[in-house]
Amino acid sequence: MEAHNRELYLYERLNARVVGVSMDDPITNKHFAESLDLHFPLLSNPLPWMGLRYGAYSHKPPFLPDGSPMWFGRRTVIIDKNGIVRYIKDGSPDVKEILSFLLTLEKEFRGIK
Amino acid sequence: MKTGIRVKRIPGILVAIGLTLGLLSACATTAPEKVPTVVPTGQGTVVFLEKYEFKPPPQGWIMMKNLEGGDFELGFMRFEKGDFPSQTTFIYDDQPYGSSQDLEKRSDYYCTKFLFNSGIDLEIKKRERLTINGREALAIYMEGQNQITKEKAKSKVYLVKKGSRIISFVCTQWRPLSASFSQEPFDHFEAFVRSFKFVKKDFYESFEEELKKIGL
Repeated sequence: MEAHNRELYLYERLNARVVGVSMDDPITNKHFAESLDLHFPLLSNPLPWMGLRYGAYSHKPPFLPDGSPMWFGRRTVIIDKNGIVRYIKDGSPDVKEILSFLLTLEKEFRGIK
Repeated sequence: MKTGIRVKRIPGILVAIGLTLGLLSACATTAPEKVPTVVPTGQGTVVFLEKYEFKPPPQGWIMMKNLEGGDFELGFMRFEKGDFPSQTTFIYDDQPYGSSQDLEKRSDYYCTKFLFNSGIDLEIKKRERLTINGREALAIYMEGQNQITKEKAKSKVYLVKKGSRIISFVCTQWRPLSASFSQEPFDHFEAFVRSFKFVKKDFYESFEEELKKIGL
């Protein structure tokens, strides 16, 4: 989250917007966002249909010792202007790779090779 | 989220490449990269991955490189005599904690995050404005201890303006509570920082150019 916060000025120039999604409740997220001084929205999705739909959480093995799914997935997804998922990466975000990909998307959108 | 070797608690896989100065001077590398990791210049400095030139610390220091491309660009560490934790680490980090492009604001945030996971109760001893290699910078001196784990740390951080971004150089020394800090590792850090040059444009400078080319 902090890494995305640092790159916001570049994301904005690339006409990209960042939305964070968490299973935590809104009050926890608000505190978290304030502690990191985040300047983009953080959505609460406790159920968590968004994480499942975007494949961030594994409902396949390995499960936690109590048999419950792994709810701690971390996934970066880039959706283009047509609503198509164009980039997926698990783990810590690689902001340089993300910036480069967004530049490619923007060039594609503008018809620049 | 930051764990691992104790400059910053670094997540993920951190690979310490055991290159001593002897290997450095022999221009050897164990990494299967096309670009040589370090190349001596013959003037007491080395060029790292064709990106940075700096004066490395003497033999006995281990070079570190983050293969995930995450929390720091490069660094050195040395285990020292004495009980755990007796070690010093220094790094160059092009993405220090925080997002503000203002040195003072960035330092306020930086200090709240720095060594957070270590449990060290850090005290800011001094902050001072200065220039590093012609760039506007802020030096932060910190010291702290943890009575439970019986360890203490002393850090010197440089936050440096580079274009529209802020980069950092960080040196942290760990000692048991009963031991004394030593100045010598900080001297090597100082030589590293003062000799540090960018051999070519960094990612962000090149990226800015790309953005300008398409009118952004």
